Amino acid sequence: MVTFFTTFKQFFVFLPERFDLKAGFQRKNSMNEIIEAVNRAAENAEAKAAVAADAGALEALRIEYLGRNGLFPELSKKMGTVPPEERKATGTAFNTGRTRIQAALDAAAARLGGAGKQDKDAIDLTLPGRRTAPGHRHPITQLADECVSVFRRMGFVAVDGPEIEDIYHNFDALNTPDDHPSRDPKDTFYFPDGRILRSQTSPVQIRVMETHEPPVRIVAPGRVFRRDTPDATHGMNFHQIEGLSIDKGVSMADLKSVLQTFAWEMFGKDVKIRLRPHFFPFTEPSVEYDFSCVVCGGKGCNVCKNSGYIEIAGAGMVDPNVLKNVGYDPEIWSGYAFGLGLERLAMLRYRIPDLRFLYDNDVRFLEQF
Amino acid sequence: MDISRKWLSDYVKLDCDDAFLCDKLTMAGIEVEKIEKNSTIPEGVVTAKILSREPHPGSDHLSVCKVTDGSEELQIVCGAPNCDAGKIVPLAKIGTVFHTEEGDFKIKRSKLRGVESCGMMCSEKELGISDDHEGLMIFPEDTALGVALTQLYPGDTRIELEITPNRPDCLSMWGVARDVSCLLSTPAQLPEITVPECDIEVAGLVTVENPELCPRYIGRVIKDVKIGPSPDWLKERLESVGLRSINNVVDVTNFVMLELGQPLHAFDRATLAGGRVVARNARAGEKITLLDGKVIELEPCHLVIADAEKPMALAGIMGGENSGVTDSTTEVLLESAVFKSSHIRSESRSLGVSTDASYRYERGVDFDMAETASLRACQLILEVAGGKLASKAMEVAAERPAEPVINCRFARIRELIGTTVSNERIVDILKKLHLKVENISADSCVVTAPLFRLDLTREADLAEEVARIDGLDKIPMIPVAGKVCHPDSEDAYAPLRTLRDLVIGMGFDECVHYSIVGSASALCDSRFEKSDLIELSNPLSPDNGWMRPGLLGEMLGTVGRNIARGNRDLRLFELDKAFCKNPAKFPEERNELLILMTGRRHPELFSAEGEALCDFYDIKGVVETLLEKLAVTNYRFVAPEKPDARFREGHALVLLLEGKVAGMFGELNGKHANSWRSSAPVFFAQMEVSSLLDAATHVKKSCKALAQFPATTRDIAFVAPETLAHGEVIDFIRKCKAPNFESVRLFDIFVGDDLKKQHKKSMAYSLTFRNRERTLTDTEVNAAMDKLRAKLAAELKVELR
Repeated sequence: MVTFFTTFKQFFVFLPERFDLKAGFQRKNSMNEIIEAVNRAAENAEAKAAVAADAGALEALRIEYLGRNGLFPELSKKMGTVPPEERKATGTAFNTGRTRIQAALDAAAARLGGAGKQDKDAIDLTLPGRRTAPGHRHPITQLADECVSVFRRMGFVAVDGPEIEDIYHNFDALNTPDDHPSRDPKDTFYFPDGRILRSQTSPVQIRVMETHEPPVRIVAPGRVFRRDTPDATHGMNFHQIEGLSIDKGVSMADLKSVLQTFAWEMFGKDVKIRLRPHFFPFTEPSVEYDFSCVVCGGKGCNVCKNSGYIEIAGAGMVDPNVLKNVGYDPEIWSGYAFGLGLERLAMLRYRIPDLRFLYDNDVRFLEQF
Repeated sequence: MDISRKWLSDYVKLDCDDAFLCDKLTMAGIEVEKIEKNSTIPEGVVTAKILSREPHPGSDHLSVCKVTDGSEELQIVCGAPNCDAGKIVPLAKIGTVFHTEEGDFKIKRSKLRGVESCGMMCSEKELGISDDHEGLMIFPEDTALGVALTQLYPGDTRIELEITPNRPDCLSMWGVARDVSCLLSTPAQLPEITVPECDIEVAGLVTVENPELCPRYIGRVIKDVKIGPSPDWLKERLESVGLRSINNVVDVTNFVMLELGQPLHAFDRATLAGGRVVARNARAGEKITLLDGKVIELEPCHLVIADAEKPMALAGIMGGENSGVTDSTTEVLLESAVFKSSHIRSESRSLGVSTDASYRYERGVDFDMAETASLRACQLILEVAGGKLASKAMEVAAERPAEPVINCRFARIRELIGTTVSNERIVDILKKLHLKVENISADSCVVTAPLFRLDLTREADLAEEVARIDGLDKIPMIPVAGKVCHPDSEDAYAPLRTLRDLVIGMGFDECVHYSIVGSASALCDSRFEKSDLIELSNPLSPDNGWMRPGLLGEMLGTVGRNIARGNRDLRLFELDKAFCKNPAKFPEERNELLILMTGRRHPELFSAEGEALCDFYDIKGVVETLLEKLAVTNYRFVAPEKPDARFREGHALVLLLEGKVAGMFGELNGKHANSWRSSAPVFFAQMEVSSLLDAATHVKKSCKALAQFPATTRDIAFVAPETLAHGEVIDFIRKCKAPNFESVRLFDIFVGDDLKKQHKKSMAYSLTFRNRERTLTDTEVNAAMDKLRAKLAAELKVELR
């Protein structure tokens, strides 16, 4: 039926081009045989539907008028005999009649408390979909992935380094004074052979520079270890991502631009960054790098301790002593390095209140990411 | 370190509010951690004039006043006796919040006995200015109206600073004042120090036996002092930064330390045997009781200040109990000394004693300041405790350290910072920081850093000074530029990410565990023995001191925890480093992949589909999918040569890549799951990441043309002995090399009760035949099938059906 009406309608859509408007109006009140039959059928069907006692009676009515061998298909076959000037009016009457009958059937079905037509294959559309539940990336990996992607777009390549590290790469080569507190066994894990668990990802800088001629441009995501008893903001280990770029004529403006780009990519264009002078043994000048608070937008809240800013990373221009230690001439080469904590980023990004959630691996937590 | 704004303004004029000052300090690298205003006057209290006073119609002691603050006229009901017209008084306007011991109270529009009152006029006590509560506070008649009282009575602000280890010079008011003067471009000035001349020499007053650890020691004697309470100004200064007043002489030593950064110590000279001091190493067996009562068994590595006989102070850290200044002291030996910073640091740390003095010494004090501080303390002691100087400076000093001389190229400074800061500005900044700048040319200058700035030795250090004073906000944003990585550099991270993506795609949740574990967790992976474990020397707790050799132990912990919390359907994985001491087994560090599943296979489904539990074929399927996705083709699954205690016997397979063991998967040995409140079996796969990635990268995929002619399928079903493995059937059929044979697929295995009794099972396979050049005829396929059936029956001992 649907197909039929589509063509039927299309037929009339093209008709007006050849349609004599005047003639149409003149014949407005006159009814041809088909129109009369349709109107009569509609009235009869309405009357019968109104008194139909059950769904079976309704179905019989439907077949009588609208079924494949019913009245309407029969009438449509006679459409060809209608004079062209009457076709539009006839078509309209035909459609109206059909709609009236369908409406009468629907109303009767509603009265009888069920659909006019029972679908034997009806399904419950609200049951859960058949799917494979997706897996979830751990928030730390999620952040590491994002950071690596952002820096990769800026020409950094991701490298890896050992977690069991020697004192030279973790401290000495990074210009850390011999009596620097971070070397203390209270703060750093030692092995009997004198090696340590790296306390930062910075030794990867040294390993890369030792084996590569400048220019270099790397990021190194990874696990680092501090001798902290686990609590809401500390763990025996956490994750950092280290960045290093060495080339000719690199300045703090390059560093600032890379970090600003990073901030925008990670937290959106509204984030402002602030560089604050600081001190690290392996960079000079050294800065700390703050984001405008991603929670309050800089107005001040308990997350940023009302300062409007959140400390994100340490950074600076690679100290000339570090360059000398790896055999780079600081008169020719300069560069910057930065390091940021992924747990901190994850906690900010997802408002995770306690760092221990990240290592507890309760699936109700993991499935939120 | 804490500073007081009032105290700071003794040395440098502060024409700015706290917020501005603190922002300047933070942005210059002297980070403000906390700002604490100790003004008691709340915001919202202003000066106002009483225009009229009428008696309150409903009360004998209240008055109704009209008051103006210069901008609006308000009606205030007041109970004070002195609220006379014409007086200028403090007015707390609506909204002002008073912080009292009973809690906050806010001034609101209210009615007092039926008359409206729009604020409160205050007494001095109410504002915390004094205890006077007799009447309203009254200002002079010429006081301007509407002025905030916080401006008239600014109070003090205590500012907590984080001083980085390179800036010990900022561990004093004077040091901070020097930087502030540079930041605000106002001069800083030390108070004038005048001490009466004294030529008296006290021979042998000071001896230094270890000049390496004590490069400078100045002793002065002041006699006839009268110990007593400090004057108010001195108490106030100390209290403003949180120190308690003790007595006038001790307070002076503390005051000067905070003012100039030089720790001082005052000995009661009468308690010193021989009346003299010796800076020497302790002798074996010596002991000292410190001021805080702690007894220390001294060793020869300790540096002490002794009298002629015994240690009287732990040099640079704390004085002894018996040599301090007390009420009965009349003669003081004032110590101003320099100790080697690394020595004080290690000693303070090893003894667990940290003081304001040791904090400054371990970061390094100014060699030149020792004399200035000694004089300043003498001046103040004479001022607040009387007495007179009884010796000249008795000094033992090593050679004065050389001041670093730095060549400063202006262009290089600009190059490092990335700004266009001018030569003149660079010179100006360096000079304002009290550095000596000479030989200024168009390209460079020569900078001599004073001894209080030992952190400045190189051009880069000067660049930092210029950058932080000129302002890091001046550094421009520029397009990200530079050469990218070397063409042959490999991305170490990308393949790990790919692996993780694949496993996450199969519905597994990623876990991250600590890599430092207990021995039980480490050894539950039966591939390892204790001697394979890498042990820490200084674990946090004795039970938590091993690097995990595999990822299984911690993962089982997570499974147990989850099950205990009611999360029984688990699909978990971890990809991270594992550690092994035994190079015969594994490299020291390697990446391992552990995938684990237990509980319902598809808990997200409903009815029977949702209730089915995971089985062996699920974990096997995961491994197969992973291998396929990585395009690993050259792999084999074989039964383990000997039982592996990680797995249930007979329910595990070893993964061989290129003939080498690259992992294992199967059902977890039930003994691991004993304590769990779940009876569902656990399945896991453990794989070596480097083997997987190596195998993956070797494979080149090439496309095969699609067959043009239709395939013909034939089914075959038979009853086989229970022990006949599917793999054997498949291998056998393939080996038969039937003509035009293309593939074989298992479509049913059935073990009914009858068959079970006979130790048999029914197996059904579907075989596909195809020729790539033509359509096969039934006859030829049937012939091939007949031959195959005969071979199967004969050689595999199966009964064809």
